[in-house]
Amino acid sequence: MSTNDTDDEVRTDGSGGGIVAPDDETPTWSERKQRSQGLSRLTYEYFERSRREDQDLRQQSDYVERDVLAFPAWPHEMIRNLALTSFFVGMILFLAATLPPEMPNPANSAVTPAIILPDWYLYWSFGLLKLGPLNPDLSILGGQKLMADRTYGVLANVVVVGFVAIVPFINKGSARRPVEQPFWAAVGMSGVIFSLTIAALSIKNLIPMDSHLLFDLTFLVPIVSATITYAVLKTMREGYMFDLNRRYYRLRPPK
Amino acid sequence: MSLERKDEHDHKGWMESRELSPLESIYLTTLIWLDKRLRVVDYLEILEDLYYKVNMQMPKSHTEQYNLDNKFWYWYPLYALGSFSTIAYIVAAISGALLGFYYAPAAAAADGSPTVAYDSVMLIMGQLNLGYFLRSVHRWAAQVMVAAVFLHMLRVYFTGAYKEPRELNWLIGIILISLTLVFGYTGYLLPWSQLSFWAGQIGVEMSLSIPLIGEWVAQLMFGGFTLSQATLQRMYILHVFFLPFITTALIAVHIGIVWMQGIAEPH
Repeated sequence: MSTNDTDDEVRTDGSGGGIVAPDDETPTWSERKQRSQGLSRLTYEYFERSRREDQDLRQQSDYVERDVLAFPAWPHEMIRNLALTSFFVGMILFLAATLPPEMPNPANSAVTPAIILPDWYLYWSFGLLKLGPLNPDLSILGGQKLMADRTYGVLANVVVVGFVAIVPFINKGSARRPVEQPFWAAVGMSGVIFSLTIAALSIKNLIPMDSHLLFDLTFLVPIVSATITYAVLKTMREGYMFDLNRRYYRLRPPK
Repeated sequence: MSLERKDEHDHKGWMESRELSPLESIYLTTLIWLDKRLRVVDYLEILEDLYYKVNMQMPKSHTEQYNLDNKFWYWYPLYALGSFSTIAYIVAAISGALLGFYYAPAAAAADGSPTVAYDSVMLIMGQLNLGYFLRSVHRWAAQVMVAAVFLHMLRVYFTGAYKEPRELNWLIGIILISLTLVFGYTGYLLPWSQLSFWAGQIGVEMSLSIPLIGEWVAQLMFGGFTLSQATLQRMYILHVFFLPFITTALIAVHIGIVWMQGIAEPH
């Protein structure tokens, strides 16, 4: 023991000094959460509220306590998944064995191939690059185009992907089936058909058709198919929803 | 008085007082040893809590509640497309790792003579046992994955599964589909054949025509305004390093969110 070793000095082993609160003064975790301020306090309160909400939901009549869930994960679900997975992997192996890829010539910047194409899944994007004829030339600028055709094509890609991204923020509500919302089903159908026709446009030199006609059809066919989808679903709608509502009504008659 | 520190909760005494099989005592000793250092028990408690939350109470699904199987059984196969694309991704990852043992992204030139990259693909296809099949599997797994992802997106759209609580997952899905396409594109460039070269040419021109940041994007992604060794190397690193990490993480988040929110059935 050295002489300058006083009681209030902090020692390296953590003893002495009043830095660590005694055990009976240490707040528990729940106290800490309740005491805290600002955002963490809000978080705590919200968690408590949502826990209560969960509890209420569970006590509603359509929540059931079950010892056995619908379909046992082991072994039933696992065997089913294994069977499906091996079937699917087998399909890939079969495709790979029957249709192996070919290898073109080495890269040569001096020889432009007759057909320049990306893989099939990029045809739609490639087709959007060829929308030059739709790029408006403004008479204000003396018939000049506002942006280059290339820029216009890239912008078209951004617009298409952007539109797909904001769909959930435009189309709200609880409707799920295409028959419930013929309009949005028609929008979807025109999108699917357009992705096919624009892909056809991107390989127009492989398609035995007048390129102007093809260009017009690229936009006409989606509109026509959207109209047909809309008409069919609108016609189906009443009978279908009647069936569905009758089913709901029988199972859960209003009080 | 013993100088040895006393075991506060006397786990040892407790273990001796019980008749444990060797397996049990080894397990407990390991658990206690780990718990003293890492507080494993806290985490086990969380896991246990999670387990019961997941398993004890599940609401009846909409289909069960209203006996709707005969109303939309025809959608069911389409609900497997998401897992099909994941399986195809795994197949592509495994075959791709094997291909990576033999492929070298080197000496990209464009004068019509075979480069090191081209030759290594030719070696895989011509010399390596099962190499042709391996490349074929990789390619087809990629094609199937893209197809499955597209169809998966259509299924989600037409069953309205992107609505209210699931907007975030729709956005993640759009990022994932774009990443899949970039995966395909970067892979398409790797053999450095005529098709690869001219697809790369289109890519450079596309990035150059982006307003304002075009040149910057071209330099970042393609390593310059013309195709060179830098392009091939960047495509390679994107294909085998950046994209796999980002895509795998996002797929995990995507599936995790589906797990938490449940499958959206039409009603």
